[in-house]
Amino acid sequence: MPGTTWLAKLRAGLAACGLLAVAACGGASSDDGGPVKVSVWAWYPEFKGVVEAFNASHKDIQVEWTNVGTGPDQYAKLKTAFTAGKGAPDVAMVEFQQIPTFIILDALVDMGEHGANEDKGLYAEWAWSQATDGQKVYAIPVDGGPMALMYRKDLFDQHGIPVPTTWAEYADAAAKIKAADPNGHIASFGSDGGWINGLMWQSGCRPYGYSQATAKDQVKINLTAPECKRVFDLYGDLVEKGLMAKDPFFTADATAALDSGKYWTWAAAGWTPGYVAGSLKNTAGKWAVAPMPQWTAGADEQGDWGGSTFTVTKQAKNPKAATIVARELFGKSKPAWDIGLNKAFLYPLVKDVAADPAFTGKAYEFFNGQKVNEIFVPVSNKLGEFQYTPFQDFVFGELNDRSAEAMSGSRSWDSVLEETQKNVVAYAEQQGFKVSK
Amino acid sequence: MTRSLPITAPAAEESPPAGPVESRSRRRSRRVTAHPVAGALFVLPFFLVVVAFLIVPLGYAFWLSLSSKSLATGVRFSGFDNYVRAFTDPLLLDGLLRVVLFGLVQIPIMLGIALAGALVLDAVTTKFALAFRLIAFMPYAVPAVVGALMWGFLYSRTFGPFADLPTLVGGDPIDFFSVSLLLVSLGNIVTWAWTGYNMIILYSALQGVPREMYEAAVIDGATPVQIALRVKVPAIKQAISLAAIFTVIGTMQFFTEPAIMARFAPQISAGYTPNLYAYNQAFAYSDFHYSAALSFALGFLVFVVAYAFVFVNRRRGGRK
Repeated sequence: MPGTTWLAKLRAGLAACGLLAVAACGGASSDDGGPVKVSVWAWYPEFKGVVEAFNASHKDIQVEWTNVGTGPDQYAKLKTAFTAGKGAPDVAMVEFQQIPTFIILDALVDMGEHGANEDKGLYAEWAWSQATDGQKVYAIPVDGGPMALMYRKDLFDQHGIPVPTTWAEYADAAAKIKAADPNGHIASFGSDGGWINGLMWQSGCRPYGYSQATAKDQVKINLTAPECKRVFDLYGDLVEKGLMAKDPFFTADATAALDSGKYWTWAAAGWTPGYVAGSLKNTAGKWAVAPMPQWTAGADEQGDWGGSTFTVTKQAKNPKAATIVARELFGKSKPAWDIGLNKAFLYPLVKDVAADPAFTGKAYEFFNGQKVNEIFVPVSNKLGEFQYTPFQDFVFGELNDRSAEAMSGSRSWDSVLEETQKNVVAYAEQQGFKVSK
Repeated sequence: MTRSLPITAPAAEESPPAGPVESRSRRRSRRVTAHPVAGALFVLPFFLVVVAFLIVPLGYAFWLSLSSKSLATGVRFSGFDNYVRAFTDPLLLDGLLRVVLFGLVQIPIMLGIALAGALVLDAVTTKFALAFRLIAFMPYAVPAVVGALMWGFLYSRTFGPFADLPTLVGGDPIDFFSVSLLLVSLGNIVTWAWTGYNMIILYSALQGVPREMYEAAVIDGATPVQIALRVKVPAIKQAISLAAIFTVIGTMQFFTEPAIMARFAPQISAGYTPNLYAYNQAFAYSDFHYSAALSFALGFLVFVVAYAFVFVNRRRGGRK
């Protein structure tokens, strides 16, 4: 009877996938003898080609990719799925700062059990240390965001303003820019927790510490160290003097301001050129990249903003196959990195790819032929260890909200980090952590 | 006068004195007892939907709210601890206060405009009125997310037409996302989206008012304004309070506009409105238990406020 088969199929489908988890339906399974199917959630640009390259080169594993939203949108769905106990994909794209959060939610598989420790030498050390906890491998790095200073070379040259090499010179340049163009600003303070975090990282600030392997319920939070505070002192001063604008990043206003000469610089990440090149049509070719200004003249302190990894979730039906997918979607795959570098403009955390002359020697039209990776690659190589908390959304949210209060004048700039520290410690203790400074 | 007959007839039938209604329902209940299975079958689909999509989720959320989850130590049963925490959480209380202040200003303005519009539509019977009715209703058809995004652009200093208006007379450009203007900017979006909807509700109610009442008022020498304020408004009091209750409930659940506008306005913090706070607790901080408690507490408050509103309204109506 065809009717019963149809009903049986429907019933089996509903039971396997859950009524509301249609998107994640059809995880790893090879009961019909065909290739193992591994579901992947990711929002990389141009990712379709990467998936096709993987599927073409793997006979026994096939990737089924879904883009369920960028960053927070995807995390919201992941957290719901982990709470519900079903509905998560086998492999999920996760940014570095979120890894401890998903570890403590017991959402990630230790890929070390499936041989992922072999990849240790393949990736930039700082990235590998953020993706792992001792011998446990929770994530496979893909792309990073080493920071450098994008600036309008034409305007700096035209007005004879030297490109700042220290943050003190940066403040001087801000005043000169205002004098040269009353509508101009050296940059915008974007109230983006990840960006602020990158600036603090570059200042030598190491505000968080957490290792589940060492102690699940202990966390270090120290946002009030002098290296952290001086970032807010400098930027707060620039904003208060009207030398720095207040537009949030990635809005139409901020992009228009970048493209109209209203902003002269942006302390940006390795992925930023790829992101902005398409939307800054008027000023293409007028930008250049310089190393980040230093807090001490002649120093070489660097920071990172963003970057992402592949993780295997605890709901993966075939963690071994999922680990292979996480390791090899990008990994050493040449076709994947061709797309990643030339179409998606990712900054590669695979050391060999980053060191390849095809990458370091690549001249960008947007930067008037400048080989900007000659600046980004040494920054990434210089990055040391940096840890995040297992509740980084809360910390970034606090940094955003308290900075926004300072920008609107309802809070003094030098109290932003103190208040953030106070609130984060209270939250951590409420969540059952022992907090050290 | 040709219009009055078909309109008054159904209106009279729909709001008769209590007697006929009772007898009709008695008749119906007798029929139900005669065919209990058929009756149950008719109710069943609706009942199933209510159980699956209302009762069960509510029960599950309430059960969730009785446990606490801490990231470090896991889930434990905690009774009403989450509710104690909610009602002493400064972020929630700040958000509540903000929403209440917002409602106190925005709701009267919006319903006032809607009522005025409805009265005008009822008095004017030209083709223009028909077009106006459609145009006023249109924003309601725009999804709230799209509306909020659209206004985000209209408020923009680079792309919007309004921000630079004061510079024409030598003033400073307006920052619609500044702390002092943010609630006004949000209120404007909500008013834009919902005024037409409320106008149509009130206009439909006006259609049901017996036209003879207006004729009587005209014979008594009432001016059009007096008719509008002394005859029409009291006649649709029920509809006005219904619209007000819906609006109060909607305001307490204020979420979409601030959630979308947060991209443009960093001043919209994680706890800007209670609903936004509950969302962030669940989907950013993975505390579904506390989020459930917040939602329940908020639902309880909405219930209390709405009921108090109905109660006060009925008392006032009774006194008159």
